[in-house]
Amino acid sequence: MSTLLPFHTSILNEIYDPDTSDLLVLARGLGLRRILCTLLKIYDSPHNLVLLVNATQEEETEIGEELGIMGCRKPGLRVVGYETGTSRDRQDLYKGGGLIAVTLRILVVDLLQNTIPVEKITGILVMHAERVSPLHLVSFITRLYREKNSKGFLKAFTDQPEHITSGLSPLKNIMKELQLRRVWIYPRFHQEVKDTLERKRADVVELAQNLTDNMNDIHGAIVQCMTITLAELRRSKVELDLESLNLPAAYFSSFDHIVRKQLDPIWHKVGPSTKALVRDLGVLRRLVSYLLVYDPLQFHSFCQVLVEAATSNTAESGAGSGKSQWMLTDAANIVFQAAKRRCFVDVPPQERSNEVEVIDLDDDDEGWDVVYELEGRSSEARSSSNKGKAKANGKRPGWLPNDIHPVLEELPKWSLLSEILEEIEGEILQMERTVSSRPVEEPPGTNITLVMCSSTATCSLLNDFLASRDDKRPKGEWGRRMMLKKLRSWLWWEKRRKMMKEAIQNSGSSGRKDGSSDLQETMWRGESSTDRGEDGLSEAMKKKDRERAAQKASRRRVRGGAPTNGARGTTASRDTPAPGLEQDLGQITPDDFINLNNEELLALNDEDLELNLVTDMSTMEFATEFDAHYGLLTPAETVIVRAYSDDTDDRMLDEIKPRFIVMTEPCMEFVRRVEVYKCSNPGLPVRVYHMVYANSCEEHKYLAGIRREKDSFERLIKERGSMLLPILEDPRQAESDAIIKTISSRIAGGRRELNVAPSQVIVDMREFRSTLPSLLHASHLLVIPATLTVGDYILTPEICVERKSLSDLVSSFSSGRLYTQCELMSVHYKTPVLLIEFDEDKAFSFEIISDLKSYAKTTNRYPPKKKTTGNPAEHNYTSPTIQSKIALLTLSFPRLRIIWSSSPYATTDIFNDLKKDRAEPDPVKAVATGAEEDPEAGAGVNAAAEELLRSFPGITAKNVKHVMSKIENVRELCEMDLVGVQGILGIEPGKTCYDFLHKGERGFRP
Amino acid sequence: MSSNPSSSSSRPAPPVVIPGSGNNIIMSPLQRGNPVLECIRNVGKEYGDIVADYQVGRTTGVLFLSLKYHRLHPEYIHTRIEKLGHHYTLRILLILSDISEHKDPIRELTKVCLTNNITVIVAFSFEEAGHYLTIFKQFEYKPPNMIKERVDKDYSSMLRTSLTSISKVNKTDVETLRNSFGSIANIAKAQPEQLANLPGFGQVKVKNIKNAFEKPLRNHATNTLALMASSQSQSGNQPQAEPSETHEKPPRDPSPVWDIELDL
Repeated sequence: MSTLLPFHTSILNEIYDPDTSDLLVLARGLGLRRILCTLLKIYDSPHNLVLLVNATQEEETEIGEELGIMGCRKPGLRVVGYETGTSRDRQDLYKGGGLIAVTLRILVVDLLQNTIPVEKITGILVMHAERVSPLHLVSFITRLYREKNSKGFLKAFTDQPEHITSGLSPLKNIMKELQLRRVWIYPRFHQEVKDTLERKRADVVELAQNLTDNMNDIHGAIVQCMTITLAELRRSKVELDLESLNLPAAYFSSFDHIVRKQLDPIWHKVGPSTKALVRDLGVLRRLVSYLLVYDPLQFHSFCQVLVEAATSNTAESGAGSGKSQWMLTDAANIVFQAAKRRCFVDVPPQERSNEVEVIDLDDDDEGWDVVYELEGRSSEARSSSNKGKAKANGKRPGWLPNDIHPVLEELPKWSLLSEILEEIEGEILQMERTVSSRPVEEPPGTNITLVMCSSTATCSLLNDFLASRDDKRPKGEWGRRMMLKKLRSWLWWEKRRKMMKEAIQNSGSSGRKDGSSDLQETMWRGESSTDRGEDGLSEAMKKKDRERAAQKASRRRVRGGAPTNGARGTTASRDTPAPGLEQDLGQITPDDFINLNNEELLALNDEDLELNLVTDMSTMEFATEFDAHYGLLTPAETVIVRAYSDDTDDRMLDEIKPRFIVMTEPCMEFVRRVEVYKCSNPGLPVRVYHMVYANSCEEHKYLAGIRREKDSFERLIKERGSMLLPILEDPRQAESDAIIKTISSRIAGGRRELNVAPSQVIVDMREFRSTLPSLLHASHLLVIPATLTVGDYILTPEICVERKSLSDLVSSFSSGRLYTQCELMSVHYKTPVLLIEFDEDKAFSFEIISDLKSYAKTTNRYPPKKKTTGNPAEHNYTSPTIQSKIALLTLSFPRLRIIWSSSPYATTDIFNDLKKDRAEPDPVKAVATGAEEDPEAGAGVNAAAEELLRSFPGITAKNVKHVMSKIENVRELCEMDLVGVQGILGIEPGKTCYDFLHKGERGFRP
Repeated sequence: MSSNPSSSSSRPAPPVVIPGSGNNIIMSPLQRGNPVLECIRNVGKEYGDIVADYQVGRTTGVLFLSLKYHRLHPEYIHTRIEKLGHHYTLRILLILSDISEHKDPIRELTKVCLTNNITVIVAFSFEEAGHYLTIFKQFEYKPPNMIKERVDKDYSSMLRTSLTSISKVNKTDVETLRNSFGSIANIAKAQPEQLANLPGFGQVKVKNIKNAFEKPLRNHATNTLALMASSQSQSGNQPQAEPSETHEKPPRDPSPVWDIELDL
């Protein structure tokens, strides 16, 4: 671990004291982790029990590693997650002391169950303090902690001042929740930080790259779309705070959040079109950022998926869900057209007949090609072997369909990057020369060049580019080889997809019920449909078969590449296929010709392409292969491409110690990291190349980001200046009140007797994701966590509550889950209760749902006809309202009670009310209820995986527990063979499930 | 309505005298002039002498209460509930929430209803209240198929439900996944790097997908029964496994002895 800078030391001096509790707000990139780790190291001792909470899993491991490097090893930081041991194991772990990172939900449970010795906790370190709100689990933990332990410290950290924005005095709210009284704010413009960092500066080369014309078009068009959408949004809702709705704000993902927050209270009044607008902004924002980082093909296919999703949506759910308006604008058309134009252009038939011309466009050295072209395609191999180098790449590859001409524009940054790398190489040489010529000591650091980009995907893209760079070609086409490879795999997927879709359509017209699946399978298996029985084949299928036969016969010709729509007749006769086949060929309409090509492409490339794809995709494999085939490279030749991540970058910089850093995308944090890196390594020359697309959203975003951070720091400082610190309320103060509550009035004669047991509620473990348990505890109920099979909350031995938030309600109605849950509750409890909980800041009204799901008002919609019989089941409901579902539920379960609660706070009051004067529930009994056949009742479950498992056909609410006890994880089920799955689920459901899991695979037959 | 056998056994409901035919909603004369009446559509209405306000089925009685009225006459609903006695199997209190301070009255009514075996339904407008009444009548004999678990759906929508059950995965992503992997089994086998390379897939999404497929279904971190057993037998103080041993990173195996001679 590198040295601490002066400002790090002074921060540490201020906050290390274990007697004080502090909040530290530090600018991102200034080394929060360094401070945290030093702090942890100071506290590390078996006599201390220090908890690290609210860190992400990655952060936990990273911090652990870093502590290991710092020499804090035995035992170092231990991580408690869902996979670690039983609660008894944890108890021992806590008793052993030391540094422990705990997942929030586990810590809450442990605090409630007294697994953790609360009095012995030396302190808690809270990461991501910006996320703390009154309803956050950290607030719950703080309350539980402070109830029994007032001596221990609580230190909170955040490096995201932008997110401290909730309410009028956000900083105060956080401090109140964490019960802190001291806050330290260290922005980048803090004098001390400034003094330290600006003493030695890295050598920065700013490079502003222009976009290509096509990209410029797309960029402009997307921005236009965003402006239109924003304007539309402004028009549609007057209640919105218009000031914050400007374009720069829309570049950030927090924008969605802001808009949603403003709209939430009136969300039910907001029409579907407005909602669509909000959603569209998100899509557009992503689109514009993808434009700058994705390669053209990927961008194009993303656009395609967008269009596809939009069209299929409207087909399914009617006009309701709100079409994306921007898609209908001219600008959107520009986006989609230009996206395509960057990849390839469609060649009109006349041109296609003349292959030479295509080559003409394609290559500068066309002379040879013309010659070869005249000789026919057989020369292809020769041409590539003969001229080996640039020539081969210019050659139109045989797999390329004739109707397109590849453009394959490259991102301008790619060539810029490779130029920079060349320059760096030169620099390194020069430096080495000076070092060797003069008796100067070589400066510290390595010659490894570090290239930074925004995401791992970009990372592997750049890796690919650099690996397959071909600098014989003119600038701007250096990545041609890679792009061609990508185009090839793209085409392959594209055709396959098209065929699937077409197959579905065909089967639809042929009227076969399961045709779509069958056909789809056929498609996956390539052209082998002839081996299928002819019996059930529809007319359309037969036609397809004929096409296939024709295509088989003409394979060689197609590979030869020349034929076009116009010239097909002649080529066909030249090759003299069987006369019958020729006829078939004649029947094929021009539309079908594309299929022909598809088939060809498919047949050709199936195997090798898939291989390509796999290697393309997994960089891991690349790395291992790399090691196997090549030795170690000298640092001077090594280029490392990494994605920006969090504070881990600091360590990476420290380990690699690069002299040359290329930032392909602007990143404020990383710039600071480099500053810190430079300052903590005196004497190390650092040169940074900082690339930015000029006049793009990237630039705006970068600048706006800096401004935003500065503003939020200023706001925080201002707030700290005028903050009235809350006097922390003594948690014991309310106790006298609690005692009165537990006096039972059920005892006759008005005798006053104290109930020994405090009022308690049994809460399902999974419910700790919601805010209600925390509030229940705050209202002096004893919260007992347990894994329940039936219900979410057990209030009394008779009352069992199933909580549903609004969105849950809709989804569990449509999945049928709620019915099953109510069934279970009714069997096991006398008073089953459904709690419908509305969100606090959202409207207390149901219309939310009715237009969420875009139901038209059913009440007005029915034709005024008299109901004829008592057979309402026949009444035609296209989209039943949520109200009718609730009505049906109450009709099915007359004993089911419903609690309507406008917020979690209201729920707490209602629960307290209901518990008054009633018996207390028994946790052991509650856990055992309904879990008779489950051998592992009470064990925790991986909720996400269970959810996924449940959604598979053949798995129902009734057998899901059984399945879960049989398999380790979902993947295991996916990898089982048919017999295995049937062994678990039974013959019929097993088959359904297996079919579902494997549908769409090659060689799979239903 | 007795899909659930124990429901009727809890209280032997005396048969209610049903005036008129079974196809109409029977309204109490007290409800005359209530704007809700306007909103009851598609079913017949008639007045009859009943203890509830609306009788929307053989065994279903509805009391109607507007919160505005309740605020003025808080005792009214109690007398009505008292009068209702033990009539009807399904007893509904239809609350019209037409005031902004609905929290306290609803809480209080919820408690009253729970003790009196009445189900609360909250409507937020007259329209909605009318809609409820209509539906209760129309669905009188409807089987609950609409809200039961369904199995027969087509592949693509099933696929969509499955994959979107993983958080952060949207419909577009489902298309992408399907196009690039084909089947669920293949998605389950996919490497995180492969997923991360798909358009629109960030690290969080990839992590969520991998977690859903590969994290164990059961974990014992929050095993309650074990804890309860342990807390009961705490005094027993059985010998326990070495503390914290399982949680440490196991120490690295010592490197093999490096024989420099051999290297030459």
